[in-house]
Amino acid sequence: MSYEEIDEPIAVITFFEQGKLHPLRFRWKGQVYRIKKVNGFWSVQDGLSRKYHFSVSANAPDCFELTFDTADFNWQLARVYLEG
Amino acid sequence: MHVQHLSSSLRHIIHIDADAFFASVEQGFVPLLRKNPVIVGGTENQRGVVHTASYDARKKGVRTGMPLKQAKKLVPDATFLKGNFEHYKAVSTVLQNIYYQYTPLVELTSLDDAYLDLTGTLSLHEKSLVEISREIQKQVAAAVNMTVSCGIGTTKLLARLASGQNKPNGITYVRSGTELEFLHPLPVEELPGIGRMAKEKLHQIGVFTIGDLRSVPRMVLMQHFGMNGKKFWELANSIDGREVKQRILPKQISRETGFEEDVSDLDLVFEVLHYLTERLGKKLREQGLTGQTVSVKVDYSDHKRYVKARSLAEATDCTDVIFRLVSQLVDETPFRRLRVRRVGLTVSKIDRKDWQGELFTEQSRREALESTIDEIRQRFGFTAVLPASLVNLQKHYRMEKSGYVLHAPALTQ
Repeated sequence: MSYEEIDEPIAVITFFEQGKLHPLRFRWKGQVYRIKKVNGFWSVQDGLSRKYHFSVSANAPDCFELTFDTADFNWQLARVYLEG
Repeated sequence: MHVQHLSSSLRHIIHIDADAFFASVEQGFVPLLRKNPVIVGGTENQRGVVHTASYDARKKGVRTGMPLKQAKKLVPDATFLKGNFEHYKAVSTVLQNIYYQYTPLVELTSLDDAYLDLTGTLSLHEKSLVEISREIQKQVAAAVNMTVSCGIGTTKLLARLASGQNKPNGITYVRSGTELEFLHPLPVEELPGIGRMAKEKLHQIGVFTIGDLRSVPRMVLMQHFGMNGKKFWELANSIDGREVKQRILPKQISRETGFEEDVSDLDLVFEVLHYLTERLGKKLREQGLTGQTVSVKVDYSDHKRYVKARSLAEATDCTDVIFRLVSQLVDETPFRRLRVRRVGLTVSKIDRKDWQGELFTEQSRREALESTIDEIRQRFGFTAVLPASLVNLQKHYRMEKSGYVLHAPALTQ
C-alpha cells in the first residue's frame, strides 16, 4: 500500500444528522465517487477552527481521506491510498 | 479468604482490552492496510522501537519494544507507520460510548482498555455476561472495524488477567469459585506490580507461577518486598477489593521523546526538555490537575538510564515552576561522555486543582500569564506563543500550528 498527498478542494454531498456529518459522494477531477463506507473519522483542532477528517472507501479499490474545515466550510481531498 | 469469596461473588466485572489497538485502528481506517502486517512506532528507516504490531507481524516474532530495524528484518513486507494520536483518541471515544450503554460504572484505564462493573446493572439487560461481552464485540466491530478481547471475573484482577488469555477477539469467563484454579498456572509476572526486578527475585526463591506464590507465607513475602509483599500475597490468593471507579486521576503524566540520532549537544537536550515541560504544563491545566513530584529521565547511547526526581513544596500546574525544578534536576545530572538517545519528564502525585490561589503574588501573576497563553494557544495553535529559547528547535523539528513534530508522535502528544 502507498499513499499520495493530494490536498485539493473537492465538492462533497453531505448529510447532516444528529450533530454528525456523513459524506455521501464527492467529485474530484470531474469524476464522482460514491462513498461506500466511512472507515473512520477524527478531528484536529487547528487554532480556532476544527478540521474533521474522514477515511472513506469509495467505488474504487482505493481509500481516500477527506477533510472538512470548519473555518471556511470547505472540503479537501487530503490523501489517496493506493493498492500495491 | 472466606469473607473475600463472599463479597467477590457479588461482583460482575468485565475488562475489555482492544487487540493490537494502534495497528488495528490504522487498519480499520485504511482497510488496504489489512493486506500486509502493520507495525506502528515509526517508519522503517527511522530509529525507534515498535509500539504495536498487528497479529500477523507478531506471529513472525515482532514484539512491542523491539527496534524497528529488527522488526523490518523479521517482516520485510510490513507497512511501518508513525501513528497518529488523534486517530486513537477518536476510536477510544467511540469505544467508551459503547461501554456506557451497559453501565455507568466504567473505568477507562487507557485509550485501549477499560473495566465495566455490571454488578448493579446486569439484571436490567436480561442477558448473561458472556452475551453482553459478545454484543460489545459486535458493536465495536461494526463501529470501528476492530476486535476487542473481554475478560469476565469477580474482581478487577481476574477480569484483567482473563482478557489476556484468549486474544484476539476472545472472551474468557472466570466463574465464581474457580478463581484460584484460574490463577494457579499463570506466570507470576502477570500480577500487577511485579516487574523485572521482583520477577527475578521471586524466581531466585523458586516462585514461577501464581500458584507457587500462594504457597509462600505472607510474612516471607513481606520480608522480601515490604508492603508490596503483602499485596502480592493477597492478589495471588484472589483477594482484590479494588473498585471500578468512574474516573480516576492519572498516577502520573509523562512526556518523552527520542532523538533521530543520538545527540551530544546539551543545549538541544535542555531545549527539548523545556518544550516537553511546556506540553506537560498545558496538559495539567487543561485537565484541571496539579502535580508535586517531577522527575527527569535521560537515556544514553549505551542504553543506560539516569533518572532524578524531586518534590516541590506545593503541588502546581504552573509550567514555570515545573521548569525551574526541571532545570535544577538537569543541572545536577552528571552528563556522561556519551550521547543522549532519549529524554523525558514525569509529573506525579497528581491531584485535582480545587484550591483558591493567593492573590497579588508573583505566583498569581504567573498563573494569569499562563492562562492567557493557554487561551491564545487554544485559538491560534500551540506554537502561536513559545518561549524564545524554543524557537531554535525549528532547526531540528518541523513546526506545525499544533506543535513541533517530535520523533514518534504516537507517543509524544
